[in-house]
Amino acid sequence: MSRYLLKRFLTAVLTVLFVFVLNFVLIRLAPGDPITILAGQDNPSQEQIDILKAKYGLDKPIFVQLLAYLKNLLKGDMGTSIIYGRPVFDVISERLGPTLLLSLTGAVIALVIGTSLAIVASRKPGGLLDNIISYIAYVLYSMPAFWLGLIVILFFASYLGWLPTAGMIDARAGYTGWAHVLDVAKHLILPAGALALVGVPAYFRIGRSSMMQVVKNDYVNLFKAAGMDRKKVYRKYLFREAMLPTITTFGIRLAYIIGGSAATEIVFAWPGMGTLVLSAIQTRDYPMLMGNYLILSISVAVWMILVDLIYAVADPRIRLS
Amino acid sequence: MTQNPLLSLRDVNIGYRTPSGMVRAANDINLDLFESDALGIVGESGSGKSTLAMGILDLLADNAEVRGQAVFNGKNLIGLPEKEMRSIRWREISVVFQKSMNSFSPVYKIGEQIHDIYKVHRPGSSRAESDGAITRLLGVVNLTDRVLGMYQHQLSGGMLQRICIALSLIFDPKIVVFDEATTALDVVTQGQVIGEIKRLQHDFHVSSLLITHDISVVAETCNRVAVMYAGYIMETGPVRSVIEEPLHPYTQGLISSFPTLESGKKMIRGIPGTLPDLKEEVPGCIFAPRCPKAQEKCRKQRPQPQEAATQHTVACHFWGRD
Repeated sequence: MSRYLLKRFLTAVLTVLFVFVLNFVLIRLAPGDPITILAGQDNPSQEQIDILKAKYGLDKPIFVQLLAYLKNLLKGDMGTSIIYGRPVFDVISERLGPTLLLSLTGAVIALVIGTSLAIVASRKPGGLLDNIISYIAYVLYSMPAFWLGLIVILFFASYLGWLPTAGMIDARAGYTGWAHVLDVAKHLILPAGALALVGVPAYFRIGRSSMMQVVKNDYVNLFKAAGMDRKKVYRKYLFREAMLPTITTFGIRLAYIIGGSAATEIVFAWPGMGTLVLSAIQTRDYPMLMGNYLILSISVAVWMILVDLIYAVADPRIRLS
Repeated sequence: MTQNPLLSLRDVNIGYRTPSGMVRAANDINLDLFESDALGIVGESGSGKSTLAMGILDLLADNAEVRGQAVFNGKNLIGLPEKEMRSIRWREISVVFQKSMNSFSPVYKIGEQIHDIYKVHRPGSSRAESDGAITRLLGVVNLTDRVLGMYQHQLSGGMLQRICIALSLIFDPKIVVFDEATTALDVVTQGQVIGEIKRLQHDFHVSSLLITHDISVVAETCNRVAVMYAGYIMETGPVRSVIEEPLHPYTQGLISSFPTLESGKKMIRGIPGTLPDLKEEVPGCIFAPRCPKAQEKCRKQRPQPQEAATQHTVACHFWGRD
């Protein structure tokens, strides 16, 4: 077990390092650089450009820059944002919370609704209810979250005016305490709802097919022949077994929780990491981008290990070795 | 037989409703199972033998329709309310199923699942009580209580089938139904399990209803046999009498399609043709299209069971005549 974990940990470190180096090099090979933005648009002189480049160390070869970055990273320093002028770590930690709030809410709602619908629909496969739910699931499945986001903004925010169109708080109101929580919740409904709706079909379809699979298990007959109540067989046995593929799916989706909802964040102007990454790309804010990539790849790597551990607990047939 | 039957089937008919019509899986079945009796129902796949047994216990799919009488303890099991049926299941009549590999849930330990089954008829009983009850029976099938702490995937097919056999006896039932209980096992394990079945028939005084396509299993474990074909019983009688002197052409074909140790180089004959479409109503004998002896009468008039020898009945117009 501990050997397995050590192996997985070392593989994860190597993967993260590889991803990091790739990103580090790629973004610098891409056209454009932060200096042009910093220097302004009125034709900066070569002298100005050279000074700025030297200031941020961009005059050195890529390899030297990489080593310098890694050296600082080992000391716990993720660098300073070229555009914000603040430590990258500080900016990211401000954005991490809102992103987690949005993505987790969306993911959990999708999981709960999708799985519940799966259980309802699998009771009578091919029945009217199953057909209706399956049809709606197909429609939702074909929609990108950001597009659905635009539609719900148009309808619920612009047309009906029930909910705010964008942002996480009403900045002018300056709420505190419970009023603040309520304010955030109000802003959360549309983006989290859009994310949840496009997430529902995956859980629905996986849960439904898995449920239909497990009811065919021979032990269902045994328990029925033994006089066991159908409900008990469902609750204790079938449900847990049917949930196994759902757990995997949920786990894999959670791994992309930080980066996965970027498009939705942008549509709703949600102050999360998605909007941060987008602006960092546009301004070629190298240190900010590297910081984001690092957090993203680390969270994916760690989460993959966690999912495997959870799966091994849920399914005794899985051995970690 | 002078004693009263434990389970008595009278005019049992079972059909499956399908979009293209009713599939008649078992027709006009009349059978008796006595105390300490071992009755084998033999027939090829699709002959309706499992349907018959599961129909009596109301374990069939929702589209099955069961009619007739299956009297057990003075009660007709057919049409019995679900709650009353549940109290009879396992405590009075238990089942050993065919597919031993998936007979338990993969995500719980065997002992816990047995405890759940134990609690159905012994509510509030502790895990220790169920462990104790099953351990006593595991000995009969040559297993120890070690298996209770294991998961299904850690056990072999033979071991799982033994656990199922032990489990079937946990409430001292009157009848155990073996539904192709030895079919999925390899020959060696099959031999051992058959030995254990014989032992428990002897030691526990249970009556057994053994469903199989393998007439040699019936020969080893049963004293009486009913031969089923396409939903009809063709012949019933004492095992020796039926195997040594089969009267129905179908039974004769079935027996000659199994090799025996003594047969030497004799050809193993199959029965030409396949099972008829069970959705069609056949006025005559259901076996007539495949029967070497069939004549015009067989296609027009269904033969009724008649007693050909002591306790040996056969449903054929031209039984025994060659």
